[in-house]
Amino acid sequence: MSVKVGIDFGTSNSGVAVYDGARVRLLPVDPKNVLPEVIKTVLYITRDYRSLIGQEAVENYYRDNVNRQRRYVKQWVGEIDVRGADMHYVRDIYVYVDELKPGRLLQYLKTALRKEGYEGTQIFERYYSVGDLAKTYLSLLKQRAEGVLGEPIEAVTLGRPVKFSESPEQDHKAQETLRSAAQAAGFKEVDFELEPIAAALDYEQSIKKPQNVVIFDFGGGTLDIAVMRLGEPNKRKVYASGGVDIAGSDFDRAVIEKRMLSHFGLGQVKLQPEIMSMIHAIPDWMALPEMGTPINKNILDKAIQAGISPVRMKALQGLIYNDLAFTFYNRVETGKIALSNNGATIINLEDKDIALWELYTRHQFETDIYHYLIDVEKVLLDTITKSGLEPGSIDAVVKTGGSSSIPLFTEMLIRIFGQEKVKQSSSFTSVVAGLAIKAKMQG
Amino acid sequence: MSSFSHKIDEWMKEAEARPESAVMIVKLVARRLRELTERNEELLTENIALQNGTRVEEYQKRIAHLEYQLDLLKRRFGADESLLTKLPTAPPEISTLSLLIYNSYGRILRMEINAEAQTLGHLADETLQNSEQPRLLAVPSNEEVLLLFTSGRVSTCAVDSISMVEIGGEWIWERAALDDEPRAGEFLACIMPVSRLPLSEFFMQVSRRGCVKKTVTSMAQSILGNHYLGKGALQTSDQPFDIALCQKKDRFAFVTIEGKLLGLDVDEPSYSAEDRIKLTASDYVIASFVPHAEESMLFVTQTGKVINREHDSLELSKSALAKGHALIPPSRLEQGVRFIGAASVRETDRIAVLDSQGKLNIHEAGSVTGAGSIEAEGLTGVAVSIGVIRAETWNGANP
Repeated sequence: MSVKVGIDFGTSNSGVAVYDGARVRLLPVDPKNVLPEVIKTVLYITRDYRSLIGQEAVENYYRDNVNRQRRYVKQWVGEIDVRGADMHYVRDIYVYVDELKPGRLLQYLKTALRKEGYEGTQIFERYYSVGDLAKTYLSLLKQRAEGVLGEPIEAVTLGRPVKFSESPEQDHKAQETLRSAAQAAGFKEVDFELEPIAAALDYEQSIKKPQNVVIFDFGGGTLDIAVMRLGEPNKRKVYASGGVDIAGSDFDRAVIEKRMLSHFGLGQVKLQPEIMSMIHAIPDWMALPEMGTPINKNILDKAIQAGISPVRMKALQGLIYNDLAFTFYNRVETGKIALSNNGATIINLEDKDIALWELYTRHQFETDIYHYLIDVEKVLLDTITKSGLEPGSIDAVVKTGGSSSIPLFTEMLIRIFGQEKVKQSSSFTSVVAGLAIKAKMQG
Repeated sequence: MSSFSHKIDEWMKEAEARPESAVMIVKLVARRLRELTERNEELLTENIALQNGTRVEEYQKRIAHLEYQLDLLKRRFGADESLLTKLPTAPPEISTLSLLIYNSYGRILRMEINAEAQTLGHLADETLQNSEQPRLLAVPSNEEVLLLFTSGRVSTCAVDSISMVEIGGEWIWERAALDDEPRAGEFLACIMPVSRLPLSEFFMQVSRRGCVKKTVTSMAQSILGNHYLGKGALQTSDQPFDIALCQKKDRFAFVTIEGKLLGLDVDEPSYSAEDRIKLTASDYVIASFVPHAEESMLFVTQTGKVINREHDSLELSKSALAKGHALIPPSRLEQGVRFIGAASVRETDRIAVLDSQGKLNIHEAGSVTGAGSIEAEGLTGVAVSIGVIRAETWNGANP
């Protein structure tokens, strides 16, 4: 007999849980992680097309890539027909490919589902569509969960944000891509639940009497809000839901843009457009790895020799050519998380040619992301208004997701609803727990 | 400067908003100050080394080494005389051919050989040292060689800096040169000439248990500078056995004592050590070589029997679980036949053979492969080691 599980396919972290009618069991699908019930949503595909997920992917990526040898070879990728009024010729197109690259690490797979214009990526000789990437990840996650449970899993309730995208077509496309990926991964039955509603189902387990609840699910990729009546399973009601594409990855990007780029030459390099484009690619996790071409290396070498901000150019070269991008993004994220508890932290990256050190305070962080606070508050108040309830008639505001711990947003919730109403649920597991409950209800 | 002042203003604002942050900021800044002080001291030390010339000497040595390599290449590939006169090079040396006999304790016997020599002399000492047979290597005397130790350490030395023993004499290991003594716990794995290094793409290493590791030669400067190439073995009980320089399209082959031959396309293995063959507990690698077109593969057993195979017959394996191609049937193995050497040779090459009595003789490769065995009168005991003397080095050394 097969079981039905809940899967939270998150932007930064994922999880699998099962509910037996009395108790939610979070499955330890990543034994190498500090929290084995939480698995990083990262996928590492090696040159021989082995796929790894979670901490294992990260470890293999570090082992194989950091400070490795590189060698670029010119590879034919196609040809372009050039037609003019009286001429026609075909031109070969080449790209430089690092033939020693041992694998490719992919993160933000969920963001890729909703990213307009992003259809997939070439990994060595194979093309992986967005659906292929999600399928590969879900398939491995399923295998791990089956390993823990010791029985096959054929049905799943997958979480989804309230809005994958503002565009209804893109939103529908993202959900159907995820559905197809789950089916291709081996789930015969696939249904969806909104992530904030799943978090609400988890919260409902802890209350004794009916309440009007705001779920504030603020994760790595999106903010999802649901206003619900909870406490009586038969009279459960969703008054309103809303969301916006603002979350942890945007804050990381803001930190990099405002605080890190000067370490790589921003402000010092002005008349070299090629170098400027490399610097501005740093916050973009998809664009940065593509910068590692021999032509760019040559440009940076020349700048260093010409004495154009040589220390920073060397650091930029190190970041791009020593495969330090993933480490760098992690350091920024770690610094951001530290500021939820401390007033100051250090973001540093010490490696060959890089000696990045930045003392970063909560005041600076809040200044850097303040414009997001205005957008978040607007979406929250709009959703409350849509629900027909007044903030005063809300009994509890349940925070979940990593970004919900950022003090700036907690203070906003306290300001609107009052200190006693703002409650923190488990940041990384409440959604998956709720999805497991939902799976049982439907199963 | 102004941006730094702005940063300090922002830190102050944090301290004003949350006074408890002030302590943390001071602690973090103080820690950074300590790190920078230490770093400053390191840089000052480096600066002193630059000023007093220590670094200059180091770089001069490196430059001299590179010039030497360049000189070797010019002579080897016959660079145009007019070009040579324009460049400041060392006076031309008359090259002779050296035959090295070395053991795992790092002892190296060198003798300069000539075209007439057939019976070279006698190793009046234990041929087996540390349960390992001595290895033979023929190399022009003006070359440089790389020594690979079982710890993964490497060092280089000029062949002509190794003291010589006389042809026709009796040699003992104690009198052999000890150019770079193995350190505690390590043994000398092999010696390889390095003059072709700038023209090669990869170092190919093979371990005793058939683990293969490829390293790009563009890393050579760092490898030689750090004196470390790596063991190229996965198991701790395993150790490096041999190393060769390869081009991109080359093949690489190795042979085990029980006669298993495994061929690889050099492009194929990854850049980390990986097992390439499944060996029985008693089996291990005894020879490796880079087979080239127009050469044939020669395999020698301890009884002096020679198996000769065409270059094209080498089957290339892609699996880590390969068992290798058996050179002899199992019944012959049961009779005690074991392999002691293998090489890729041309008919015009010569083969130096060391037998268990310590006798060292030179044979024509063509006659050995033709007869199917090493001449009976030349072999007084069982053969223990062979080395190939390339025709081109022979001719070059004896103009």
